[in-house]
Amino acid sequence: MKRANGFFNLGRQKVYWLALLLVLFSAFPFFWMVSTAFKPLREIFVYPPTFLPQNATLENFGRLFEQTRFIAYFKNSIIVSSSAVLLTMIFGAAGAYSLTRFRFKGRDKIANLILFTYMFAPIMIVIPFYVLIKQMGLANTHFALVLAYTALCLPFSLWMLRAFFQGIPLALEEAALIDGASRLQAVLHVIFPLALPGLIATGIFTFILAWNDYIFCRILISSDELKTLPVGIADLYNATVIDWGMIMAGGMLITVPVLIFFMYIQRYLIAGWGAGAIKG
Amino acid sequence: MKISERTAGYSLVLPGVFLICALLVYPVLYGVYLSFFSKHSFFPEQKFIGLTNYLYLLQDSDFWMSLWYGTVYSVSTIVLQVALGVAAALILSQTFRGRNFVRGIVLFPYIIPTVVAIILWKWLLNNQFGFINYVLFALGIVGEPVNWMGKDHIMSSLVLISVWEFFPFVVLSVLARLQTIPPVLYEAAKVDGAGQLRRFFHVTLPQLRNVLFVVILLRGIWMFTKFDTVWLLTQGGGAEKYIRTLPVYAYMRTFMYYQAGLGSALAVIMFGVLVAATAVYFNLFRRGDE
Repeated sequence: MKRANGFFNLGRQKVYWLALLLVLFSAFPFFWMVSTAFKPLREIFVYPPTFLPQNATLENFGRLFEQTRFIAYFKNSIIVSSSAVLLTMIFGAAGAYSLTRFRFKGRDKIANLILFTYMFAPIMIVIPFYVLIKQMGLANTHFALVLAYTALCLPFSLWMLRAFFQGIPLALEEAALIDGASRLQAVLHVIFPLALPGLIATGIFTFILAWNDYIFCRILISSDELKTLPVGIADLYNATVIDWGMIMAGGMLITVPVLIFFMYIQRYLIAGWGAGAIKG
Repeated sequence: MKISERTAGYSLVLPGVFLICALLVYPVLYGVYLSFFSKHSFFPEQKFIGLTNYLYLLQDSDFWMSLWYGTVYSVSTIVLQVALGVAAALILSQTFRGRNFVRGIVLFPYIIPTVVAIILWKWLLNNQFGFINYVLFALGIVGEPVNWMGKDHIMSSLVLISVWEFFPFVVLSVLARLQTIPPVLYEAAKVDGAGQLRRFFHVTLPQLRNVLFVVILLRGIWMFTKFDTVWLLTQGGGAEKYIRTLPVYAYMRTFMYYQAGLGSALAVIMFGVLVAATAVYFNLFRRGDE
């Protein structure tokens, strides 16, 4: 094997074995979840366990839709996550544009303050946040959740978009301005198309963070019909008799949207972008 | 009408800054303020009690236990995820067919919701029907099912799950850096007769130094304040008090005992410990530079 950019030359065979081990470690739990989700009740508890469902069935999904509020949770998750993405993108793009295109006093200080707040852990924010939201009478509303996710995602989005905007040469905009375009026209026709991939990637990071969040929904939402998916699924587990088939089906469905988006942002992740955006 | 550059700049960035201040900075400061009060989590009454919350915690054995469990949890998960993450990144930097596919798969655990990670592993580690116990038993490694969620093993289970969930972050950061190490360095070392091991310790590791510094810092902060993974694992086990880390204890005080003041004091202490640990860490790093 031709040496890669590494210090070591393992034989080709060894590399394949190690890669296979990595894949097994990372993906086997998912495989097991999907396999269990399609097994009929009796087969789930059979000994020794079967790798693939012998009599694949959709009954776990049926129970999930009929006996729980899964569809309502799904809808709530979509509403809350999309609203958070929309707000974050508006404030984030405007702010990042300002931080890269205009000169004003305190610009770098503002950028650093934003980075600093990114270090606040959710558990440090959530206790006072809850007390304040309660005082404002906003507890148990989706609006409170949207506010929380927007605030959590904004620092990171601002930084990421700032880096994207920095990569777009100023000269392009200046050329458009000299050609008689207004600033708005220059932004819409020159900057926006170039920044679009970055905007989409940042939007996806925000979406995944809001979609995956457990703690804020757990604390801010008290009525069952307003819960988002992570809390809804976690509560399925707290039933007296644990229905593993149904829980695995739910776990599989909540993961699907994330995986679809993941395909899109994977190349950004591997290039080292936004590794810290999704989770702490 | 021409708007000055300054006005335009401020008016675009200030709405975002306002949101961050109102929804992040203000709550954190308000939390510090609350920590000096006796305050019920639901009702508006509050009473100033000075440092009483902090003094109470100093004598509270549950607090010291949670600090201990939190430290054990963060140190062990960081060591393991950095070791595993660097090893995985080195493998994934080799050229082989299907490399991009494997890189994608390895990131899976990091992007899924924590809830899914927990239910997956609770099912795999289930003592009666879990796959792990089946394999261990079938291979003759254990004679009877291991109670992974019981008091003896729950910390190990938690560490295993957390390392699985978060090691891709290390892989991502290290892999991105590995790709930028100039091949010339390796060639020069090779010409000088350095073997594989020497090349790793004298070329790769020094190049990774800065990225590892940041990775360990971020992961340290995130593991020490990790709430959802720990909390969700404690549900329905009975051994919850053996993994009650500081964030979980702060949550319990606030939302189960309704002591918002005490909960806030715990959050403040958590922040203080983090700041102190970060300062020590920076110092060690700088000393290592000389």
